[in-house]
Amino acid sequence: MAEHVTPLAPYSRMPGGGISRRPLHVIILADCSGGMKGEKIQALNFAIADMMPHLEAWEHDQEQAQVFIRAIAFATEPRWHIRDPVPVAGIRWKPLQPVAKGLTNMGPAFALAAEALAPGQIERRALRPALLLITDGLATDPPGGFEAGLGTLLAQPAGRAALRLSIAIGRDAQSDALTRFIGDPTVPVLVADSTEDIADRLVAASLAVSRMSETGADRGAVMRRLFGPAEGFPPGVFDQDTII
Amino acid sequence: MTSELEPAGWHVVVGTARGAVHYARGMPNQDSAEYQADAETAATVVAVADGHGHSRHARSAIGSALAVQVSCRVAAQFAGSLASQPAADGAAEAAREHLPLAIVREWRGEVAKHLSAHPYTESEQAALAEAGDEPEVPYGSTLLVAVIAGRWLACAQIGDGDVIAVRPDGTALCPVPGDSRLDGQHTTSLCQPDAEDDFRTAAHDLSGEPLLALLVATDGFGNAQSSASWQGEVARDIVALAAEHDHGWFAVHVPDWAERCASADGSGDDTTIALLLAPRDSWTR
Repeated sequence: MAEHVTPLAPYSRMPGGGISRRPLHVIILADCSGGMKGEKIQALNFAIADMMPHLEAWEHDQEQAQVFIRAIAFATEPRWHIRDPVPVAGIRWKPLQPVAKGLTNMGPAFALAAEALAPGQIERRALRPALLLITDGLATDPPGGFEAGLGTLLAQPAGRAALRLSIAIGRDAQSDALTRFIGDPTVPVLVADSTEDIADRLVAASLAVSRMSETGADRGAVMRRLFGPAEGFPPGVFDQDTII
Repeated sequence: MTSELEPAGWHVVVGTARGAVHYARGMPNQDSAEYQADAETAATVVAVADGHGHSRHARSAIGSALAVQVSCRVAAQFAGSLASQPAADGAAEAAREHLPLAIVREWRGEVAKHLSAHPYTESEQAALAEAGDEPEVPYGSTLLVAVIAGRWLACAQIGDGDVIAVRPDGTALCPVPGDSRLDGQHTTSLCQPDAEDDFRTAAHDLSGEPLLALLVATDGFGNAQSSASWQGEVARDIVALAAEHDHGWFAVHVPDWAERCASADGSGDDTTIALLLAPRDSWTR
């Protein structure tokens, strides 16, 4: 991981191997099934590339986190599109490609993300990670596959603690499965009604990821500002830096 | 901020710094530190505490200050019985039996006194009721306390932060057991019911395994460290620095370490470091 480490000036002689901001890992789980071919995948690639400067600007403006990006492209099988965490600063997004006749199996993608979030794979000091699931269709996992993958993800402390957001491309993609991935029915699935909406939803998601990662942030207020009225948001959903 | 003490053999330097995030949000430094040494018993006591940053804990700076005050008092009272312990099991048991319960009881008493003198406003009371929180919750804080008496080092900790014991050969020892529930966003706390049950305690025989130093820090220090194996690197470097410099050098530089860790180049969080340096003849003989 190409982490920005502040070198220790010789005069300072601080013990240890240097200091740096706390990592904030963002893992994008992008649907690359056959249904995404054409305009949708192009719009998604454009939108993800467009989201990065927003995250980079936030990283620059705050005092706590250094943002790292990873991406999983999933269809019938998942694969790492960006395996090793890449600092968001200066990232160049390599376009995703759809898989011809590929299905929308989400469970294996969750399991792959879980591997990356296992103890020892993610820094102990990392801020709670963010998982961003983007799909245009319903999960096509074989029976039990979705639940098994989600169970694997939630079995990891970092997976369970992660901020999990989902963007449905098209109303038809807004499913109970996405709500279960988010893990709290009061957090909305972000719906992009058209390919033009994808960029807006991703920017909203990136804002959510960034603002909610800030220590002491009023997460309910962030949610209200981004996603509308918050009658349903329990105060504890986005709390952090507090008691168990 | 810096402070320094050396009346009882162990040299104590403390540095604390307000986190960059706290600056940005207009929040105070919610960490606290206190130490005392008893020249008569040669006991040294150090406590650091980290008041929680969440808005539920609006009085956490006061809570952490009360935590270090009462824990130093309790630990100093405990030092005599600790020093007389003949064996490691007894020392560990004494620390476990005495420190958590007495600290929590006294902390809650001090919180009650403060609350009596400074009652919650109507809006604070309403927020408390809405969250379903007990009156102590706004004062929530972690606590790390170390007491050195006779041949024993005893530690007690609730919540996050680090106690790093530095051996003369430059290796690190973490005497206090970890707690897998501490995930960086949530911590155990003095303000929770039955807080005494969430303390982790330890005793270390300094006569059997001498230490060169002990570093006690709030999580702003550890969360700033780039390396996953930072505890060993910090121990190695402290030994090297102690070989090159006198105690006065540490008095100047420990506060600088805290400032740097608390900066936007580090964790951005309030950072407090208490460094205890053993008398040279205790680990060179």
